[in-house]
Amino acid sequence: MFPIPPPLFQSTIIIAVTLVIGLLSNTLRSDSIPWLAKELILAEEISADTESASEPVLQGISLQQAKKLFDDNVLFVDARGLEYWSEGHISGSWVSGNFMELTFKIDEAQGRSKPIVIYCSDDDCGSSEDLAYDLQYSGFTNLYVFKGGWLEWSEAGYPIEAHK
Amino acid sequence: MMDAVHKYGPVAARWILGGFFIYASIDKIAHPELFARAIANYQMVPFGLENTMAVFLPWLELFAGICLIAGVLVDGANILAAAMLIMFIAAISQAMGRGIDISCGCFKVTETGRSLGYTTLIQDFILMGFSFWVMNRQYRTMEFYPKPV
Repeated sequence: MFPIPPPLFQSTIIIAVTLVIGLLSNTLRSDSIPWLAKELILAEEISADTESASEPVLQGISLQQAKKLFDDNVLFVDARGLEYWSEGHISGSWVSGNFMELTFKIDEAQGRSKPIVIYCSDDDCGSSEDLAYDLQYSGFTNLYVFKGGWLEWSEAGYPIEAHK
Repeated sequence: MMDAVHKYGPVAARWILGGFFIYASIDKIAHPELFARAIANYQMVPFGLENTMAVFLPWLELFAGICLIAGVLVDGANILAAAMLIMFIAAISQAMGRGIDISCGCFKVTETGRSLGYTTLIQDFILMGFSFWVMNRQYRTMEFYPKPV
């Protein structure tokens, strides 16, 4: 009979199988992901009139770029919870809330190819990127993530409002 | 009666633990990109490595779960399960401590509804209890490899 492999050796066997299968699966599948994540590309030039963009856009934008889009009446969506949105948000921005309702509302208001700016608290939060990817997955093609978010915007003294 | 508990209790614990790990792995294997984002939201992993983790971790959960249920390499699988549970508890605790409001990403990465909370932590501690029970079992009931000598 074989000797009983010690527990740590058994773990090593399982880890080795995992590495091989994980490697193969991510190499062979059609929706594989890069081995290392890439940071959201920062937009260089933006315009509210990017409907004609040949490829779907999902980029990060700076405070100045966000302000420019705001002045061009681009839709802003707040990815924070309703509670935070009620306390204060970028003027005119929508609260994300229920995802299905949000997509329906945006679709009805402006279709899926017009620009949308998504933000959350500050550059430490991930919900704006999450929402942007979810929207992209649902067919929205012109998405900008304002990483500075609510904190940077309110500190700059740009238009805000609250719904208490 | 107690003998039956000692004999079959750890088997039930193995199956529950294995079942949880297999169930948790399926959606993550199907959607690695969503799981990578769920990992990134915990703000624990150096930037970039969330993708690497999102590729391998669900397979590790799956194989550890299969081994626990099938009674193969149980000790090794149980060590891995315990290590993963410790990692999950640490990740959840630090996120809750820092007040990061994120969805758990524990079972269904396609659902954003389940937020982090004490329920998730308690569930992981209960699973740790099962793992501890399996680690300290007296009998190797329904284990096929390595065979008890």
